[in-house]
Amino acid sequence: MELPENPNKDSNGYESAEKIILRWDSTASEDAREKMIFETNPHEADLYLQAVDEIQRFLSHASISNNAAASTDDQLKVNSTIQIAMARLEDEFRNILMTNSSASLFDPSSSFSTSSHHELEEDDTVSNEDSSHNGLLQLQHCESSDSSTYRSTSSIREVDLMPGEAISDLQAIATRMISSGYLRECIQMYGSVRKSAIDSSFRKLGIEKLSIGDIQRLEWEALESKIRRWIRAAKVCVRILFASEKKLCELIFECVGTDIDDACFMETVKGPAIQLFNFAEAISISRGSPEKLFKILDLHDALMDLLPDIEAVFVSKSSDSIRVQAAEILSRLAEAARGILSEFESVILREPSRVPVPGGAIHPLTRYVMNYISLISDYKQTLIELILSKPSTGSRYSGDQSTPDMEFAELEGKTPLALYLIWIIVVLQFNLEGKSKHYRDASLAHLFIMNNVHYIVQKVKGSPELREMIGDDYLRKLTGKFRQAATSYQRATWVSVLYCLRDEGLHVSGSFSSGVSKSALRERFKTFNAMFEEVHRTQATCLIADTQLREELRISISEKLIPAYR
Amino acid sequence: MPSTDYQGSSSPLTNLGRSFLPLRRDQVHSMESPIGGSPSNEAELESFQRQVADRFHDLASVPSDELLSLPWVRKLIDAFLCCQEEFRVILFNNRTPVKKPPMDRLIADYNERAVKALDVCNAIRDGIEQIRQWQKLIEIVLCALGGDNNSYQRSLGEGQFRRARKALVDLAIAMLDEKDSGQALAHRNRSFGRHNNSSSHSKDHHHRSLGHFRSLSWSVSRSWSAARQLQAIGNNLAVPRGNEVLATNGLAMPVYTMGSVLLFVMWALVAAIPCQDRGLQVHFNFPRQFPWAAPIISLHERILEESKKRDRKNACGLLREIYQMEKCSRLLGELADSVQFPLNEEKEKEVKQRVNELKQVSDAMKEDLEPLEKQVREVFHRIVRNRTEGLDSL
Repeated sequence: MELPENPNKDSNGYESAEKIILRWDSTASEDAREKMIFETNPHEADLYLQAVDEIQRFLSHASISNNAAASTDDQLKVNSTIQIAMARLEDEFRNILMTNSSASLFDPSSSFSTSSHHELEEDDTVSNEDSSHNGLLQLQHCESSDSSTYRSTSSIREVDLMPGEAISDLQAIATRMISSGYLRECIQMYGSVRKSAIDSSFRKLGIEKLSIGDIQRLEWEALESKIRRWIRAAKVCVRILFASEKKLCELIFECVGTDIDDACFMETVKGPAIQLFNFAEAISISRGSPEKLFKILDLHDALMDLLPDIEAVFVSKSSDSIRVQAAEILSRLAEAARGILSEFESVILREPSRVPVPGGAIHPLTRYVMNYISLISDYKQTLIELILSKPSTGSRYSGDQSTPDMEFAELEGKTPLALYLIWIIVVLQFNLEGKSKHYRDASLAHLFIMNNVHYIVQKVKGSPELREMIGDDYLRKLTGKFRQAATSYQRATWVSVLYCLRDEGLHVSGSFSSGVSKSALRERFKTFNAMFEEVHRTQATCLIADTQLREELRISISEKLIPAYR
Repeated sequence: MPSTDYQGSSSPLTNLGRSFLPLRRDQVHSMESPIGGSPSNEAELESFQRQVADRFHDLASVPSDELLSLPWVRKLIDAFLCCQEEFRVILFNNRTPVKKPPMDRLIADYNERAVKALDVCNAIRDGIEQIRQWQKLIEIVLCALGGDNNSYQRSLGEGQFRRARKALVDLAIAMLDEKDSGQALAHRNRSFGRHNNSSSHSKDHHHRSLGHFRSLSWSVSRSWSAARQLQAIGNNLAVPRGNEVLATNGLAMPVYTMGSVLLFVMWALVAAIPCQDRGLQVHFNFPRQFPWAAPIISLHERILEESKKRDRKNACGLLREIYQMEKCSRLLGELADSVQFPLNEEKEKEVKQRVNELKQVSDAMKEDLEPLEKQVREVFHRIVRNRTEGLDSL
């Protein structure tokens, strides 16, 4: 909307310009108050802008030339006229903004919300590509901008927030306001209207205003789903919403320099950005129990992913605090994850249940721990970067019976994460050993160890990542352990029975028949039967969950027993 | 750990009379371990109490026009950070007894309180941002009336006054305490003279949106309340009983002290800076035996008194600069309403004087707001860090 210069119109031009301005003085007439220039008639708008330009030209001539003809009175009059014009333009500016800010990007009835339900069922490890495309598809205008030269990431998608006509109107008004020294009014108003728009977008994205106290009081399940929702929303906010606002500022304030569009952008977006990140911050400082690990890692990964985009969008100095906050949150999340892992360690070590599992079966603790570390190995990528130090094993080689022990020498070259996992298994076994002592029957104790260690081995074998990290060396060690337990178990169970079938004491020298003493033999068989019954009874209550192991054991036992019987 | 070194010396008992709760002599004698713990521990605890006391004496000894000013608030936060650091050192130096009951529970309690203070820190951050918004409006006024450095000296005309008046009205509305915004809006409109009776829907919307704008600027839900949060922080903050002091080797005292300091500092911040539901009726009850109790109680009384003064009762924050901003802008507004054009020399001088006053307030604030925000953020970080350290060591 370029306005033609009119160098020939001098004082006439000024007078007619002044007339136009005064006609639209909203404090002077009802009519002027009710109608909006830019809304009703583009031609009127043009005329008005031309008038403003004329007045401004007059003013700058007067000041430059220090024209004596422009008396103080005149000067004051011109100033007054300018002010009236600016007040009017302010109203027009606000009006255009508000008319065009009520249409929100995110329509709750659109498929954006249904896609979010969809994602809830999917795997939670969200890739950035997936969610930004999903969000994109539901938006009404999704042409990406070509004019962005500084964007370094490709996952940012700017969207047209307003029709082009509105933008050029706003631009025309803004230019005049700023050249008359009304920059501050412009920024303030722009910020307040756009902030409103962002607020309603936030609500539709499900971003809530929660205090740290609110979050602490939430049940974990509720919190989990909020975290999931936040991750999705944050991606849309940074990559689409904020980026688009930035572009809008650039467009509207195109002619007046980058500082100003940046000031407008920050005015609009700083509050909402802080509100957004406050949630992640609250999560990052909450107490972590083991089940929270995976969501915290998800949040960490999502934020890590977003960081380059955050840095691209919030690139100016005035947005330092936002970038800094995001980086702080990221490192706190990492710390929280590390804290959970070390807490996990002590939870296993101190798990206090003393009631022995009937039949020497697999202890729930074993299942829990092994399932947990299989999940951990799924997050291998992130965790390898997060866990930097070797697990602290307290007194190594101390021979202290009250703490577990691990020889690290043979585990050189393993990542700290792998060492951690192995250590967890060591601690688990240590705890299990302690539990096994609560069995009155020694053979059951061995059976217990055998079953549980075998389960550990199976779980490790069942997960390629886990197996790779734990390594075959340690796996062999574990296998050896449960086989040993198996042997001990067999021995403990059947030794007394076998004792009945032993040779010695049966042969009696002298007397009529050489060979075996009948009574002794009969005695023996009686004991044998009794013992066999006994063992059979107890063994019937023992459990060996793994069929293969059961078979192995059965074979092994019969191998020993049957020959002795014969 | 227990030693019988103290039985002969009389100084610990006299120390006890001064800095801790006065315990009966026979109680002391019947215990084997000395109340203050080892000699080094007792000196440490003693010194902590003294340093807290010194800092608050310092803060309390300011004249009333400095109380609750921006520099004073910054000093207050500094004092808090120092106390917290010393507290941390004490816990570190005594890490073994810290892990044992009942000390572990006392520390956990303190950490819970401190976490509640995090929300207050965030609310204060919001409040500082609000003050910044007001400042931007003041800059418009200054720009209009020649108070900023950019505008060349020119005589003031009707146009500039209209511009300034508009900004002043916006400022007045923005500074209203939330509770009053409805009715006071109408009142203000009337009191700002004939030029502002425009009823254009856009303008009304503008004013409404300014009020609405304020609720947008809180980053917490509408139901969050600073008053409730303060009460939660002070909940169950009780002077440690004699047996607790004994059982923890005297360490229960610094924990109680730190909790009290936390409560007071948060309360003072809420008093000074605008935030949602700023109620100041938190119950404070610090026994006078503590050397820091007197200055804190005195500060508390003075601040409460300030809040009850007629012209400050409805303030949205007791910060001295807020008061100055409000007063200067109100006077300027009244002046602007009363001027007749063209301006005579006397009036013009008066206006310029008021504008200068306003400029001074604005300049003073400009310098201190950002550092204040950083300090509040630092409090946030330290609380989180101390808590994490505490949790790790347990």
